Amino acid sequence: MSHDAEADNGSRATTDGSTTTPRPATYYHLARAVLYREFLIFVRYPANAIGGIVVSLFFFGLLFYGGRLLAGQALTDSLEGIIVGYFLWTLSVGAYSSVSNDIGSEVQWGTLERHITTPFGFAPVALLKGVAKVVRTFLTSAVVLAVMLLLTGTWLSIDPLAVVVIAGLAITSVLGLGFAAGGVTVLYKRIGNWLNLLQFGFIVLISAPVFELPWTRVLPLAHGSALLQRAMVDGTRLWEFGPLELGLLVAVAVGYLAGGYLVFYYATRRARRLGVLGDY
Amino acid sequence: MAQRGATGQTQTSAGRVEAEGRDERAATATSALAIEGVSKQFGSGDDAVQAVDDVSLSVDRGSVVGLLGPNGAGKTTLIKSALGIVVPDAGTVRVFGTDVAEGRRAAYTDVDAMLEGARNDYWRLTVRENLRYFATIHGVDPNSVADRHEQLLERFDLAAKADTPVRELSRGMKQKVSLASVLAGGAELVFLDEPTLGLDIESSRTLRSELRRLAREEGLTIVVSSHDMAVIEDICDRVVMMADGEVVADDTVAALLSGADRDSVRVTSAGIDDGVLARLRNRFEVGRVETVDGRRRVEVAAGGDTLYELMDTLRAAGVTVEDIRTVQPELEEVFVDRTGMESGGGRSR
Repeated sequence: MSHDAEADNGSRATTDGSTTTPRPATYYHLARAVLYREFLIFVRYPANAIGGIVVSLFFFGLLFYGGRLLAGQALTDSLEGIIVGYFLWTLSVGAYSSVSNDIGSEVQWGTLERHITTPFGFAPVALLKGVAKVVRTFLTSAVVLAVMLLLTGTWLSIDPLAVVVIAGLAITSVLGLGFAAGGVTVLYKRIGNWLNLLQFGFIVLISAPVFELPWTRVLPLAHGSALLQRAMVDGTRLWEFGPLELGLLVAVAVGYLAGGYLVFYYATRRARRLGVLGDY
Repeated sequence: MAQRGATGQTQTSAGRVEAEGRDERAATATSALAIEGVSKQFGSGDDAVQAVDDVSLSVDRGSVVGLLGPNGAGKTTLIKSALGIVVPDAGTVRVFGTDVAEGRRAAYTDVDAMLEGARNDYWRLTVRENLRYFATIHGVDPNSVADRHEQLLERFDLAAKADTPVRELSRGMKQKVSLASVLAGGAELVFLDEPTLGLDIESSRTLRSELRRLAREEGLTIVVSSHDMAVIEDICDRVVMMADGEVVADDTVAALLSGADRDSVRVTSAGIDDGVLARLRNRFEVGRVETVDGRRRVEVAAGGDTLYELMDTLRAAGVTVEDIRTVQPELEEVFVDRTGMESGGGRSR
């Protein structure tokens, strides 16, 4: 185990006389380990995912049946848009809360501190977890979408490629907000629960008037929501969108992800200076 | 403040000459850990707390060093500073010769820690999955150290629970998983903050025995902080005592105990009444007095000629000595003497 105990070929002697030759782990091994861990937790503890689906459908039921009682035909006319918006909202909430809450949990468990003192650091682990959370959220939101369509008897034009790319990029910007919220939680701990309230602000962003106020397109979700409506309601294929529209979607996604990640990075650095990284 | 390094040389906080600097660099080359002039203050103004104050120490490869101090002495802050979890206000930390401020990732390749109050691992994963995960993030392909993981599972009596989620294990088992996961990536320097906290006697003994074995047979360098004197005395080659953020003693356990040797004896007799006790107090330094089964047990500072005087005094008082034995100094007494505090007192930092 010690430097002295290493054999000439780099093998390490073990107490039973055998030797093992540790091979270095690459980013491939790291990605596999992080994604596999997320997969195991997802399949081993499905209660969280099922609970999320049930709660989402309960609120959609309230919205749908309550809205029909109050607004009648007006709701039915805009039902497709509401379903798409609600689908994007469940995706956004899933991605945001899983990332921000997950960072809070890592702080609480002391595992964030352990990641800090590793050759990889926490940065790639956090990003990989973000990817896993997005995939997981897509799976649960797809179930919510299917039940919503069955419940309302509505048919949408679902081109998987367009939906995955546009919705994926739209919630990437939310992922950035999740990292920023996680960073603030690292510094101020108990604020995490309050930051979860931000997810109700996503409703405003999803329904932002991007045609009347074009500047709102640079806000997270707003432009992605408009494109997703066109893809799912009007049946616009991915390649039918203009390069400027897709370019802006990518730029907003990358910009907020990078910005959120920077907030997380500097918050972690400040927490180390203040000595509050692991204190909960 | 004078501090003693691993080499046994006393260092002063100020006025180090160039020759001492060369010695330091030489020591650093053979050290697993070299801490030089590290300070950390939390808060500012009237609320400022100097958690660690100009601390220097080095830890030789393969040694086991204990950090002892009351709550709030600065042990945890020092460990976290060494790990880069807390950024010190001043001073340098070198791990296996690498300045952590210049190459943090490289410096911590062979380092891991089990910190107090932290779960340290993932309770929803099984024991084996934790070992594989932590080996990977420490830069080791888990498949290449699968044999080692099996050995760790055997050593820590975790083999039967290898595929059980950690959350289903007892507190003692979880503590063992935590330590096993710290060792899973082949760390060569490990920091253990209160590793036996909350463990029952048997689990504590098993853990201590495993730590001793790891240091002895595998050359693992261990820095362990604990309130438990038995743990420190049992496994450490050297003890660093801290109080108010400073190092107040740094030596081997044997040296610290020999320094505290007071030539005391403990006399037991039913004949030691209040009058005899008063007479003893007049002539000798009398320590702890207890009454056990109707017999007085009195600790008296007496050695050499004074011991004969003590026996003469007792004989003159008509006291029949039923038992007399030399009092062995304990680390606890050295600790109280050096820090002026009880081991459990003070505020945590």
